[in-house]
Amino acid sequence: MSLKSYSRARAVHVMLVYTGGCNGCDIEIVNCVLSPRYDIEQYKIFLTWNPREADVLVVTGPVTRHNKEPLKAIYEAIPEPKAVIAAGACALMGGVYKNIHGDIPSEEICGPVDEVIPVDAKVPGCAVRPEDVLAGAVAALPLLLDAE
Amino acid sequence: MDEDNKMTDETPKKQVIETEVPLGPVHSAAIEPYRVRLFVEDEIVKDAEITIGVNHRGIERIMEGLPVEKANSLTEKICGICSNIHIWNSVLVAEKALEIDVPERAQYIRIIMAELERLHSHLLYLAHGNEVLGHETFSMRLFYIRETVMELLRMVGGNRVQYGVPVIGGIRPRAELDQMKIQKIEDGINFLEEKLSNFAERFISDPMIMSRITGVGVIKKEDALRLAVSGPTLRATGVAVDLRRDMKEYDPFDFDVITQDDGDIKSNLLMRVLENFESIKIIRQAINHLPEGSITNRSWEMQDTPITKNYVEAPRGKLYHSYALNDGRVRHCIIRTPSITNIGAMEYACIGCHITDAQLAVVQCDPCFTCTDRAIQIIQL
Repeated sequence: MSLKSYSRARAVHVMLVYTGGCNGCDIEIVNCVLSPRYDIEQYKIFLTWNPREADVLVVTGPVTRHNKEPLKAIYEAIPEPKAVIAAGACALMGGVYKNIHGDIPSEEICGPVDEVIPVDAKVPGCAVRPEDVLAGAVAALPLLLDAE
Repeated sequence: MDEDNKMTDETPKKQVIETEVPLGPVHSAAIEPYRVRLFVEDEIVKDAEITIGVNHRGIERIMEGLPVEKANSLTEKICGICSNIHIWNSVLVAEKALEIDVPERAQYIRIIMAELERLHSHLLYLAHGNEVLGHETFSMRLFYIRETVMELLRMVGGNRVQYGVPVIGGIRPRAELDQMKIQKIEDGINFLEEKLSNFAERFISDPMIMSRITGVGVIKKEDALRLAVSGPTLRATGVAVDLRRDMKEYDPFDFDVITQDDGDIKSNLLMRVLENFESIKIIRQAINHLPEGSITNRSWEMQDTPITKNYVEAPRGKLYHSYALNDGRVRHCIIRTPSITNIGAMEYACIGCHITDAQLAVVQCDPCFTCTDRAIQIIQL
């Protein structure tokens, strides 16, 4: 492990972006960072709200029309190397909001997330369990650590 | 002395600087995207404007034309914090329209779920409020206490966020309570009561927090009534209105309607702390007097009904659902959530605050913009 990877592994900053889901995933993710029960900070993963500081972007929600451009802007603002985690059923396939009839796609929803920005790790669940978020964050780490 | 006077005469008159401070849509203090524009004069907020619409998903449009069972489970996806109250109210609309009697045991289990959800919502509010306040120790502590409620919800409903317990005519068989589960709920609420009273004692007797939040972000009683504020935010201004008193499901239970007098951030926070004890009281009564019997009433028939409406007391205030049934499908669906009326209070509470208190003044009204963002304006072209 190079010195760069070694130091990167000790300060992974996660930014949470909420793009119009039902809030359940967001509460669970904030819960998994802040609450003493799950405590993602013990793995040296911290929550930040500044995209220029972040390494990992966690996206929840089905990307509503108004959120599409801000999400792209936030993704651009994160410095390389970066990883994107899509968390929750809405972020993975649009959830119940997109195309529930099977014939008329909803005009309000631009998701799933991988149609807007590239996604590296996917965490399923409605809502996601904090354990799965931990696993997803850990799965995305090699992308950051092995990058040149 | 002369020199001093001369100095003051020559110093220019203090210039008032007017600026606009936008917060959001993605901001650290607010988990959800919404935009607050603060019009500031010398760090004092003179006017505030909240813009919503960022997370509009058109859920009523999706519900239109769905079978009623499917539409009910979709209402749960309106909000991840108060999901149970949405599905409960939606089911109550169908039961009111089709005149279905619900077994008493199912009513009790529904109330246990609703009160557990109120506990988790209020604890989340308190934890978030303390985080915005800058007191991370209390915030962590409350998240730790809240885990107990989440575990109980997961045990009863099978999931930590979306439970889907009420169905038309009763509750889902998954949520049936046996003796072991009742024991676990009892242990959980005993633990919760002990930890919460410790927290309340420390919170009230902390002079630093109290001096920070007393008299900040005041909503006056008459203005709260004028702005049609509802729920705990209204009760914190001194109006004793609780829709649980009017709901026939809550008739067997004995509980107090908590009110506070001042309408400031202190009243709002204490309001939620004290309401938690009332919820614990209701849950304890429900598990002690849980009636025997079946949990679902399957003897009902689908008919066409006119538009039926129902109000319930959600954790944030008055929640309204209405729809008509036609051929077993939902028509003319309208949902109004408590936060849409509380937005007026949020804007109002900011005025006169120091700019550092503005986010706290918004958070004190317990905003839930996921619920709120469903209104659309149809423009004829």
